[in-house]
Amino acid sequence: MLRAEPLLRIELLMLASEAQDAALTLARFGAFNPAPCTLKTLKESPAVAYREAWLEAEARLSKLLEQCGDTVPLNIPADAEAPALADLEELNAWLKEAWGRCLACHENEAQIVDALKHLDALEETLAKLERLNVDLAHLLRADSLLAVSIGSLPAESVKRVTEALAMTCHLVSRFDRIGEQVFAVIAGPRARQDEVHGLLAQAGWRELPVPDELRTHPQAARTWMEAERTRLNTQSGAACRIMDGLRDQFAPRLHEARLRLALARPLAEAALAGVRGKGGLAALSGWVPRRQMDELRHTLDAHFHGRYGLEVREPAADETARVPSLVRYPGWLAPFVPLVKGYGIPRYGEFDPALPFAFTYLLLFGAMFGDIGHGAVILLLAAVLHRRLGRMAWIGIAAGAVSMLFGLLYGSIFGYEDILSPLWLSPLHDPIRVLILAVGFGVGFIVFTLLVNARNKFVAGQVGEALFDSTGLAGLVFYLGAVGSVVSLAGAAELAEPAAWMAGLGIVTIAAFKWVEARAGLGERILVTAIETLETGINLFSNTLSFMRVAAFSLNHVALALAIFTLANGLDTAGHWLTIVLGNIVIIVLEGGIVAIQALRLMYYEGFSRFFSGDGTEFVPLRLSPQAARV
Amino acid sequence: MPEPWPDNVTRTMSAYLNTRVSLYAGRLWNDAALDALISVADEAVTDTLNRGGLPQLAAGYSPKSGQQQDARSLEQRLIAQILDETRVMIRPLTGPARTFLTFWTARFEISNVKTLLRSKLSDERPAAALARLIPMGAFGRLDNQDLAHAEDVGELLRRLEAGPYAGIVRHARRAFEQSRDPFTLDAALDRGYYEGLTLHAQPLENTVGTPFRSLMANLIDRINLVWLLRYRFNYKLPPAQVYYLLVGSHYSLPGTRLQELAALDSVEAVLAALPAAWQVKVSGVTDIPGVFARMEQAAAEQALRVLRSGAPDIARAFAYLILRERDLRAIRAVLRGRHLGLAEADIRTALQREPAGVM
Repeated sequence: MLRAEPLLRIELLMLASEAQDAALTLARFGAFNPAPCTLKTLKESPAVAYREAWLEAEARLSKLLEQCGDTVPLNIPADAEAPALADLEELNAWLKEAWGRCLACHENEAQIVDALKHLDALEETLAKLERLNVDLAHLLRADSLLAVSIGSLPAESVKRVTEALAMTCHLVSRFDRIGEQVFAVIAGPRARQDEVHGLLAQAGWRELPVPDELRTHPQAARTWMEAERTRLNTQSGAACRIMDGLRDQFAPRLHEARLRLALARPLAEAALAGVRGKGGLAALSGWVPRRQMDELRHTLDAHFHGRYGLEVREPAADETARVPSLVRYPGWLAPFVPLVKGYGIPRYGEFDPALPFAFTYLLLFGAMFGDIGHGAVILLLAAVLHRRLGRMAWIGIAAGAVSMLFGLLYGSIFGYEDILSPLWLSPLHDPIRVLILAVGFGVGFIVFTLLVNARNKFVAGQVGEALFDSTGLAGLVFYLGAVGSVVSLAGAAELAEPAAWMAGLGIVTIAAFKWVEARAGLGERILVTAIETLETGINLFSNTLSFMRVAAFSLNHVALALAIFTLANGLDTAGHWLTIVLGNIVIIVLEGGIVAIQALRLMYYEGFSRFFSGDGTEFVPLRLSPQAARV
Repeated sequence: MPEPWPDNVTRTMSAYLNTRVSLYAGRLWNDAALDALISVADEAVTDTLNRGGLPQLAAGYSPKSGQQQDARSLEQRLIAQILDETRVMIRPLTGPARTFLTFWTARFEISNVKTLLRSKLSDERPAAALARLIPMGAFGRLDNQDLAHAEDVGELLRRLEAGPYAGIVRHARRAFEQSRDPFTLDAALDRGYYEGLTLHAQPLENTVGTPFRSLMANLIDRINLVWLLRYRFNYKLPPAQVYYLLVGSHYSLPGTRLQELAALDSVEAVLAALPAAWQVKVSGVTDIPGVFARMEQAAAEQALRVLRSGAPDIARAFAYLILRERDLRAIRAVLRGRHLGLAEADIRTALQREPAGVM
């Protein structure tokens, strides 16, 4: 719980023809995190084609499912086998054909919708032309010297098209606009028609077909348009029926395709990390928890009866940064994990801060927001909303409970300080003590972080940093010495001389380490050493003072309540209670939110930043479905 | 888009960008350095590239044909370098300046769109197309995986139309539906992009003034002239269509002048009809690549003047990016030439680069 589980690196060698089954077995095993293969002799990538086919098939399947739907839950039989590449290719080809038919249907529908829109436009056009008293038959005569066409083009192209057509003695006359489409008549010498075809196509010009009937008798035109509309609607209905037919036709095989692609997923996913091979051999590489190695061997034996080779080794010192981190958390700690991962993933071997984070975060929240009433409201709200909030509700419940506990210690209930007598102290009446306690807590917290960082560096093999750096043991010696000196100066202890020696020893060690580490010319080295050493002192000092905010917020909580009482006492009974209720809501929402953020900030910046690089990789095992891809 | 900074922050950010541009300007390659890259021994190329501030290229360079240490292509690594530098430069920018430089990088994404469209036209498998795409990093706005898995050009265009480049793609789709000609797609995408660029440049031309406008003018006028010559005399398109395919311009070659030029019937006639200042730039040139090289040279000289001047920071940044890209293209040509085993003289000829007086 405080550090990642020990992992072992495995290279699983098997027949290339069984690679998909090996990946499936590992996915069912549920604790194999694929990683790039390091076997230099295996130069081929036998799973690339498999992944490619799977990706294509998966993309087509998801589009088909969107159209045809298949909401039946997918039950994967325990003995189902993964498809071979040839099967996958065949499935992919079928999906391509099926999607092609759906797409054609879709295109057909889109074209019908488009044609109906054009028909509407044509109807409007004719109405307008009728009012203009234009003789269409004459205007659109095919043997005329003047070539005329009616159509539409995008509004933003009109100016450019008009200018371009002017170069070929053509005129553009706009007569309507519907949305982004401008309807226009283009007229010009028939002899130069060839010069404008390409331009009009480029400009997206869509000619409105004007049948002969429309050019002569208005009544015939109306009849023709009605018939055309009926025809298009019939076509649309037929297209819908075809689509429904396709749905019925494809449904059973689509479900099967879902199943087969789910079974193929493990090898396709593993191929992303890199499955290597040579000839008829393939190798899957990755990480497995040490304590599950025997289980893995049994699983592989049961499936492959010795037709495999398994190389197992400890992580090498130079690959620690690439080893994924697998930490198993108890259920009650799990809600806090996203808050830790919001900062970063602990590296393999690093101290996992989730447990101290949970305790310290709650402690800080309670100390800054100690009130029985406010805590109870938070607790109840989180409990009521637990379905919506999920696991995060537990953080609210725990924070509310701790707030109530501190409320009891402070003797505060909905801001009233005179109902209960404090079990411990009242921040408002003893602010200096609260400040000293907050800083004292900060000192303890920083000492803890320095110790953890020294441990992390040591584990990572960075012994120099662990011992001599400003965030290692030398920093700790300096910090404890400096704190001792300040305590002695304040007259709280008689430690001045040993504390000063400790601080001096610590800072000199740090400076010497910085000097050795700085790879630069003399001047730059002096500057870097001086600045970084000075920064060590300033940082530790300011980080410690940062914890004064814990006391400040506990005082702030009382002060806000006082301000509300002052306002309420100046009002009549109704106004008084309304102000008290509204004021308490403001405190809970506003101050509660601020305190939650401040506690998080203290954790992240005064804590995590000191010992937690956060650049680790999460252990993501192969799974049968992407939703379950977490240990 | 980030909120505009307060005044004091703006001044600090401006100082940051100016300093950054000045530092970057030191990375530009002069002709001697480029010449040295042509003639340097194979073993020393990596060092030369590293010294020239191109670690991404050095990391992937392999002197032997067919070997490449970096999986990304030379083109991809060059663009990654440009994108890295642009990312650093836009950090302090807000408002139109940030939008403009971000849109300036979008042409690489438009190029990805073209690659995807071509792959659909040739019925290529998605993985092959994806491998050729330029990694856009933080500037990427398209879901390439999703787009690459579109079944055909129609589906791809419809998906693109639902994305950030809808304005550019809508036009291209309509044009393609009418003609089914791949050329119309490319031409519509290019035109749409540069029309968008001039729109994004407009607010900066008003506020930053002449230095920025001169860079835009050089860019758009050059593009228009080269496209005009190419469409008119290589592709033999009619004048009206050529004019339509050019970028709407309010610089040295406005619409009316472009109409006149498009109506002429030979490269020589077009060059002779250019404004007097332009005729000086293209004197002695008769072919389209020659015109492009001369115009690019003139643009580089102008960009260098802006970079060295006390022009506003965004103008200097844009000038730097123009020059940097030109350098990188030249370096690409040299590296390709070396990879193919071309003679040094042939590589120099292929560069068509005259001294811009850098450094």
